Amino acid sequence: MGARIGVPIFPGTNSEDETVQLLRACGGDAELVHWSRARTLSDYDAYVLSGGFAYEDRIRAGAIAAHDRMMDFVIEGAQRGKLVFAICNGAQIVLEAGLVPGTGPIRRPTAAFTRNAPAPHFVNRHVYLKLAVEPSRCAIAAALKTDDLVPAWSAHGEGRLAASPEHLEEIVAGGHVAFVYAHRDGTVDAAAVPNGSALGCAGLVNREGNVLAIMPHPERDAWNFNHLDRAEGKDPLAPSGGAVLFRSFVAAVTG
Amino acid sequence: MERVVAIGLKIPDNTAYTAFATLRRLGIAVERVERCDILQFVDVDGESDEALRQRVERDETLFNPNKHRLAILKSGSPRPGEVWIETLGERPEAVRRYVGWRLFKGNEALPRETLVAAVEALLCNPAIERAIY
Repeated sequence: MGARIGVPIFPGTNSEDETVQLLRACGGDAELVHWSRARTLSDYDAYVLSGGFAYEDRIRAGAIAAHDRMMDFVIEGAQRGKLVFAICNGAQIVLEAGLVPGTGPIRRPTAAFTRNAPAPHFVNRHVYLKLAVEPSRCAIAAALKTDDLVPAWSAHGEGRLAASPEHLEEIVAGGHVAFVYAHRDGTVDAAAVPNGSALGCAGLVNREGNVLAIMPHPERDAWNFNHLDRAEGKDPLAPSGGAVLFRSFVAAVTG
Repeated sequence: MERVVAIGLKIPDNTAYTAFATLRRLGIAVERVERCDILQFVDVDGESDEALRQRVERDETLFNPNKHRLAILKSGSPRPGEVWIETLGERPEAVRRYVGWRLFKGNEALPRETLVAAVEALLCNPAIERAIY
C-alpha cells in the first residue's frame, strides 16, 4: 500500500477540499479526516493542515486547535519523522503547537503568525514564495530548485511572523526561514511582503526539516484556470503554478 | 489618572466556554471562565465614572447594549483570579486594551499558581503577548 496523506478537518477549517484535490492531482493518496475520526490519524504517513479558521480563532489563531486531540496524533507523527505541511491557519496551528520553529517545548510557542502590520487588516494579494534555504534543508521542498518561485495567494489577517528578538535570532541561526516573499522576478524587498512579517518570512521549517508552515495558499494558484495570466490555450484543469510545491511534498511522502 | 473599564458579554460567551473546555482537557482545575475586554483609559482627570461610562457606551465599536455589559473597575490592576493579556506592540497612547480572563473554582477565584498554569498552557503566547497578574 502506498503512503497515505491525512488532511485533518477541525471545526472551522475551510480550505480542505481544494487541498485534497491538488494533492490527488499531484499523485498523492490524500483523504479528509474529520475531527470525529481523530484516532485514525495515526494510520496516515503524512499530514497537510489546510487553511481556515479552526475554532473561529478563539483566544488566538490556532490556539485551541493546537490542543485538539487531532494534534496529539500530528505532533506524535511529526516527532517520529512524518511530514507535516501546514498552510495558513494550519501554519498558525503548528506554531501554537510548538512544532515550528521547534525551538521550545511542545505546545509552548516561541513565535506566532499574528496580526498583519502596519495596518492590522486582512490582506488578499497575489505573492511569490522564494526558497530561503537549500532545498535539502526542508524535506517538503526538497524537489524544488533553488531559484524556483511558488506562486500563491496571501489571504489572511494574521500572517506576520513575530517573536522576541532572542527567538528571532534563533530562527535565523537555525535556518528556520524556509521561504521569503519575493517579486515575480525573484527579487526580495519589503514591498514584496504583504503583512510586515519579520525577516520577510512566508514560511518556517523545523529543525529536523519535516514540518513546514507557510502562510500563503499555493493551492489557490495551482491550476491553469486560476492563474492571473490564465495560461490561455492550456488545459484549464491541469495543475501548474503553486502545484510545484505540492508535487515536491508528494514526492517526499511517496519517497 | 487612569480608569479601567471592563466590557463583557451578557449573552453566552462561546470563546470563554471553549477556553474552559480546553483548560479542563489540559488538566487545569477550573469550574468557570469569564472573559472581558479591558480598556485602560489614561488622562481622564476630572471625568466622572458616569461620564466615562456614557462615553464608552456611545462608541458602537466598543459597546453593543444588546450583548454587552460594562463595569468600571475600582482597581487599575487585575482582580483576584484574573489575568490581563496584552498584545505586544499595540499600545496606543489614550487607551490600552487587554483581554481579561477570570478563572473560578466554585465562587472562589483560582489560586495564583493555577492561574499561572492556565496562562502558560493556553491563554498567553509569550511570543506576541504579555500576561499581567
